[in-house]
Amino acid sequence: MENLGSLFHGFSVAITPLHIGLMIVGVLLGILVGVLPGLGAPNGVSLLLPLTFTMDPVSAIILLTSMYWGALFGGSTTSILFNIPGEPSSVATTFDGYPLAQKGRATEALSFAFLSAGFGALVGVLVITLLSGWVQRFALKFSSPEFFAVYFLAFASFVGLGGAPILKTIVSIGIGFALAAVGMDSVSGSLRLTFGFDQMIAGVSFLVAVIGLFGLGELILTIEEGLHLKGIVAKVRIGDVWRAAKEMPRHWATLIRSALVGVWMGITPGGPTAASFMSYGLGKRFSKFRAGYGKGEPDGIIAPETADHSAGTSAMLPMLALGIPGSATAAVMLGGLMIWGLNPGPMLFVERPDFVWGLIASMYLGNVLAVVLVLTTVPLFASILRIPFAIIGPAIVVICFIGAYTVGSRPFDLWLAVVFGALGYLFKKLDYPIAPLILAMVIGDKAEDAFRQSLIMSRGSMAIFWSNPLVSTLMALGIVLLAWPVLAKGVSAMRRPAAS
Amino acid sequence: MISRRQAEVGFAAATALFGAVIAYGATEFGVGWSRSGPEPGTFPFYIGCIVCLASAGNLVLGLITPRFAQTLISGEQARRVFGFTLPIIGFVVASLLLGLYIATALYMFGVMAIQGRYPIWHATLVAIVMPVALYFILEKGFQVALMKGPLDMLGL
Repeated sequence: MENLGSLFHGFSVAITPLHIGLMIVGVLLGILVGVLPGLGAPNGVSLLLPLTFTMDPVSAIILLTSMYWGALFGGSTTSILFNIPGEPSSVATTFDGYPLAQKGRATEALSFAFLSAGFGALVGVLVITLLSGWVQRFALKFSSPEFFAVYFLAFASFVGLGGAPILKTIVSIGIGFALAAVGMDSVSGSLRLTFGFDQMIAGVSFLVAVIGLFGLGELILTIEEGLHLKGIVAKVRIGDVWRAAKEMPRHWATLIRSALVGVWMGITPGGPTAASFMSYGLGKRFSKFRAGYGKGEPDGIIAPETADHSAGTSAMLPMLALGIPGSATAAVMLGGLMIWGLNPGPMLFVERPDFVWGLIASMYLGNVLAVVLVLTTVPLFASILRIPFAIIGPAIVVICFIGAYTVGSRPFDLWLAVVFGALGYLFKKLDYPIAPLILAMVIGDKAEDAFRQSLIMSRGSMAIFWSNPLVSTLMALGIVLLAWPVLAKGVSAMRRPAAS
Repeated sequence: MISRRQAEVGFAAATALFGAVIAYGATEFGVGWSRSGPEPGTFPFYIGCIVCLASAGNLVLGLITPRFAQTLISGEQARRVFGFTLPIIGFVVASLLLGLYIATALYMFGVMAIQGRYPIWHATLVAIVMPVALYFILEKGFQVALMKGPLDMLGL
């Protein structure tokens, strides 16, 4: 009930003409970056973030989160109409979305995607509303060892559940941590790992890294593959939207299953991409519509879309309550919180309830607005993709570099963006996951501080990470997750002889 | 042109080198225990070591995984990648010398007129409209100043 009161207070913060205007602008910009190849949610938010430095934090976060919702919707639009996922998390939407659109049912396909995405998002926000008070009280018991254990758990779940090759995930996390350590050390004040370069003193900005890794890297990949757009002309017919809406309740099992998968993957940092694939996989195995999967089955659109959006929204819960982002985009926003002078973590709920609850309330409104806006603007945004890539590609390049420059007004950052662009391309080509690197860059300093403070508390004994039931449980969970791929192999190997 | 195996092994060697450089750089700040707790280099040192070890593993996997025998990038694809990235390098160099606005105009004109074979007037139009639009959005709308190079003299 206490949460309900806070939520109403949040609505009073969120419902102002300025904030609703920001939501609309954010959602529209988000759909735009979601539709454009090479620009996705993480770097869309990164590009916009420097422009919010002077804004009030509540308005800034509403603008950025609305952009995130918009980008999630935009990504599914291109998946369905062009068979090109605008976002990595909407890859699974192409499996059934494009075939259904090819059958001449594009509006229905889009409606299924948007409506189930809206449903998933609302489930995610509902979970945040219900759990945040509890998570916050739980997190207030934390001191340094517990925080380190939670960070460890976050990275362990990337290794164990992320789906990418394990050693490559570890390399990605390690590079992120190493880059986070460059520059001023927050504990001792010494300048680390600058190797004598003055440009390195300020450290390596994670925003520049995101713009390079996701933006430029993705563009190079698109160019390499030779972009061929064979779009399906979409005209939104109200009758088709209505027909899709009427069919939705028949897919209740998929909706609920997918929303739960999404919430789980959003809170543990599996992220929306893993959530959508997992949900599609589960649907293919268990749904009563499974026979049609891959051939344009609405259920095959509903499963990944619901999970994608419920993961995207619920990723905000660990970000706010623990200071651990559940997705790459949430990581960027977490960095934004710190830049705006807020301290993510349990104290945020106590110190800035207007910020936290204003954000949560805006998530309800923002997602409803996003469904309406995306349905009404789809034809417009789809037509942007008909502009030849020879114009749109270089234009995105220019925007990425200007974004990299606005982060800190440092010319050196332009070269860093080039390096990260090349790195992003190689990462994609060789199956190295990018999200863990970003997460490590953003929370690297905090994880290191927690580690060092724990050791100072224990005078150098690692036993402090096993000193009470809470921290031991967290560490044990982390180790199980870290070993999960090996354990899973072992279990299936044991089962096989038993079955035969 | 380049096989997956070559790329895997080369990249794993590069990340191993990166890890080694980090670990080596960290030793400068002490990697042991001091009276005020772990020394500043400790955490980066172990991170560097972990990156090195994991990269060694990736290197071995790169050598022995059978499916890595396939081609990673064909000659045609490499040509496309370089055709896209070399102008980007040119754009960055131009930005540092002439500021972002002039560089944007030159870059857009260059890629459209030369690479995209658009009519000159078409390319000129985009090359003028884009920096002007950016100027009004960034400098007037968001009060964000970009590098202007020689344009600084105009006092915009």
